[in-house]
Amino acid sequence: MGTVRAGFVLQMRFYRRYPDLLVPLLTAPLYGGIFAMIMRYNGRTDLVGAVSLTPFYMSLWWFALFSGGWIIQTDRWEGTLEYLVSAPADFAAVVFGRVGATMLSGVAAFAETWLFARYVLRGDVAVRHWGVFAGSFALTLFAMAATALLMAATFVLARNAVTFSNSASFPFYVLSGILVPIALLPGWLQPLSEAVFLSWSADLLRASIATGPVPHPVRGMVMIALLGTCALAAGYTVLRRILGQVRRTGELGLR
Amino acid sequence: MTVVTRDAVTLAPFGVPEPELQYSAGTPAIAAVDLVREYPRKRKDPVRALQGLSLTVAQGEVHGLLGPNGAGKTTLVKILSTILLPTSGQATVCGHDVVRHGRDVRELIGVVMGGDRGLYTRLTGRQNLEFWGALQKVPRKVLRSRTEHLLERLGLAAKADARVETYSRGMKQRLHLARGLIGDARVLFLDEPTMGMDPVAAREFRKLIGELRDEQRTILLATHDMTEAESLCDRVSFVRDGTVVATRSPHAVAGLVSAVQGLELDSADAALAATLAEVPGVTSVTTDGATTRILVRSQDDFPRLLHLLADHGVTSLRTLRPSLEDVYVRLIGDRGLEV
Repeated sequence: MGTVRAGFVLQMRFYRRYPDLLVPLLTAPLYGGIFAMIMRYNGRTDLVGAVSLTPFYMSLWWFALFSGGWIIQTDRWEGTLEYLVSAPADFAAVVFGRVGATMLSGVAAFAETWLFARYVLRGDVAVRHWGVFAGSFALTLFAMAATALLMAATFVLARNAVTFSNSASFPFYVLSGILVPIALLPGWLQPLSEAVFLSWSADLLRASIATGPVPHPVRGMVMIALLGTCALAAGYTVLRRILGQVRRTGELGLR
Repeated sequence: MTVVTRDAVTLAPFGVPEPELQYSAGTPAIAAVDLVREYPRKRKDPVRALQGLSLTVAQGEVHGLLGPNGAGKTTLVKILSTILLPTSGQATVCGHDVVRHGRDVRELIGVVMGGDRGLYTRLTGRQNLEFWGALQKVPRKVLRSRTEHLLERLGLAAKADARVETYSRGMKQRLHLARGLIGDARVLFLDEPTMGMDPVAAREFRKLIGELRDEQRTILLATHDMTEAESLCDRVSFVRDGTVVATRSPHAVAGLVSAVQGLELDSADAALAATLAEVPGVTSVTTDGATTRILVRSQDDFPRLLHLLADHGVTSLRTLRPSLEDVYVRLIGDRGLEV
């Protein structure tokens, strides 16, 4: 736990030193405004609440994915990567602590998005099912941190991880159904969405602010927890294997 | 066989409980046997950085690694610190295999590489030490006092809360060393730690390393600096093309090439200097103010030279012993700017 905590504290200190990492907090309200206007233009004011929360997912994903790439990239640039793997602490635990800190930014992004949707866009975002909301929200943060660890592991192999991480966002936005309903995706693509935890998270969050009962809340939360746990296990395994590989090839210290 | 805990052999200046790793008092701090390290290349033969390198460093020893760029010093340090895996051969640190028991090795070592990189430059010196200390599994309470102690000891206390990017090269190097010590390392790997430092800072840094030697820490010092090696090391190993060509104490290295390298006499006149330069085996004759230095290829050339000097009435002369640098050039070869 001490190692995860050390990674967490380090990343929080980085946020003070690299405020540009918090840029999604500036863009989230703008996206919210765009999505809400599209709905209003098409006469679907009933959907304004749901779509105006979409930027939260985009910000959360961006924080997780970009941070994963950024963590590895900056450690390469600073020359700290080799020192990290020569320390007795588990490198994966350090990275998990650091991506865990980025989830706090995700919480801030949600608060900001919700307040903007409620008071500026005048969307109906009142939480009606608090249990579903709180459970799915916490599980989403966990699954996102775990997924970020998995992504960070693969970035150890990439010489320019940030470029890679920047381009990896939109496929997930589409597959998770946060930009367009999954029902509108080609039939062969739809089953893939079920393997993306964000699609379950988005369904539950939207349902928690909707009137009427939440369909299959337990199944949704179990799926988020399951996919998050799989990502965590895969992240640890892949990171260990990749570290073994770069120790063999000698590519760890390359910039 | 006597087994001692780390407490028994550490002059722990921090007064903290030591990890429970155990090793024999007689176990070498570092042992490498036939280490080979190849770097694969696409569509080309791999580069062999180490070619069967063997080395033993006793506990508490300061051991210098001397060799040109590309000789394999850094590769050796990286293998011993578990950053790299050897292609073949075996290496242990305090008896722990660096491949099979990497975690145990990492608990015993501190790594200090030369240069500007390796620190979080936008964080302060104190924040860096706190982070790296946590990664060395130093308990939080101990870490706070140890951080203070090291900042004070290495002369960084006044700038402890300034960003590392505002530090001078010498300060960064001291912070590197503090990071290497934050886990109370038994074995320190210093890879060109004074690279790029000004002479005064380098001298201060060497003084610090001398203090660490007095604390019975084992230090493997890879360096190009002969003065550094001569003043700090109990023994030095000359590394060339990925293998150790010789290991001696700095004071005994002269025997590796020749007991006597040349002669020095009161200034010879121009005619005598010209005559001396013609003697077979004499490699150079230089006159500098009141003294003339004559260097020879081998000891076999001395009799002829001494006869000639006697014939010219020279009755007072001194022998020149080779310096560590002379030995280095003889053993490694004068490669000029070749890398």
